[in-house]
Amino acid sequence: MRWIAICTVLIFPLLALGDDPGMPPSIQDVKKQHEAQFFKMAGVVSVGIGLDSEGNQAIIVGLDRTRPETESSIPATLEGYPVVVQTIGTIRAQ
Amino acid sequence: MADDLNRIRSILNTHRRQLLDKANVVATGIGYKETGGAKTDRLCIVCSVKEKVPAARLSSQEMIPSAVDSTPTDVIQTGIIRALQVPTDRFRPAPGGVSVGHVGITAGTLGCWVTQNGQKVILSNNHVLADSNAADIGDAILQPGPFDGGSFPQDHIADLTQFVPISFQGEPSGCQFANAVISVFNLGCQVIGSNTRYQVTKIQAEDNLVDAAIARPLNPADINDEIFNIGPIQGTVSGELGMAIKKSGRTTGFTTGEIQQVDVTANVQYGAGQVAVFSDQLLAGAMSQGGDSGSAVLDDGNRLTGLLFAGSESTTIINRIENVFSVLGISL
Repeated sequence: MRWIAICTVLIFPLLALGDDPGMPPSIQDVKKQHEAQFFKMAGVVSVGIGLDSEGNQAIIVGLDRTRPETESSIPATLEGYPVVVQTIGTIRAQ
Repeated sequence: MADDLNRIRSILNTHRRQLLDKANVVATGIGYKETGGAKTDRLCIVCSVKEKVPAARLSSQEMIPSAVDSTPTDVIQTGIIRALQVPTDRFRPAPGGVSVGHVGITAGTLGCWVTQNGQKVILSNNHVLADSNAADIGDAILQPGPFDGGSFPQDHIADLTQFVPISFQGEPSGCQFANAVISVFNLGCQVIGSNTRYQVTKIQAEDNLVDAAIARPLNPADINDEIFNIGPIQGTVSGELGMAIKKSGRTTGFTTGEIQQVDVTANVQYGAGQVAVFSDQLLAGAMSQGGDSGSAVLDDGNRLTGLLFAGSESTTIINRIENVFSVLGISL
């Protein structure tokens, strides 16, 4: 009985490691979490991970054309990561 | 000097046919005589040959005389001279980077030759080799593609063997539960005499990873493992942010770029208003146009990193080669 209790005590923290509040989420996680919301906005054609003008990792949102309304509703940062909006045009199979 | 040139010109005019008729000669001209690898200031008649053959193995007929009408000759090896080929031409054997297509499409690019179960096959996009899911396995693949004059059966190079279906948004759903519910609904409509019928469509199609297909050649002699204007492939590499890349394609030929985004999810338009969502893509700057689809994308060291399939005015979208290889069960 006691070893079950010991094992539980040892294993539980391992299971909890995944969402340790002390660890900031990775940019991949943040992008994945917010991607669906971006695609609901008018004109969003892509969401990826690239670099901002200062060379920091950033979430890049691509638009089919200039869209002031969509651009104004996209935050400048998400959980500490910069968000950059780029007008890239409609993406077509070539 | 000018007198010399004119005199040799008239000598060459007299003897040109006779020189070109020799088995090995591919060109004649006037140039400076080379002696022991160094250029001299003496003009001579230069005969270009496919390959230099020791005098002992030539008959006196085939031998190029050391002088013609007292003008010295020189023999240089140039190999066979061919008209410069463009990617939309017919190639046999066919390398990567040239025009290819299913009989029912315009034209795309033959990416490269890969291996499945020990057999070499052509790798390109589904929308190039399988007409965006519309093709049947065994359909004819033409090189060059139909838009570039490829026709059946003369240019039939391979048969479609496998494609990864593209999941489009708004397609009829494959969900059995939803379809069952709706058929009950439609029965109800029929009972009450309404002409309305409902159909289940996908709101959110599954994300696609690749736009890829393979085709088996009819004749192994038609395989050229290299990529036109690039050369042999030196292994594979996983695409990373900032990586310098290049491709050789049917429309824009050899171009270079840089991976600007990874982990890209993108909405891609196919022909008549069909949209497919692709995830885990690589994004580069503008380096392709319509017809370049299917191009192999390589890094600086000629290592294969992706399969080009879409783009906008300012971007190029590329499938990761590791996804292409694992979904189709292929390797280099």
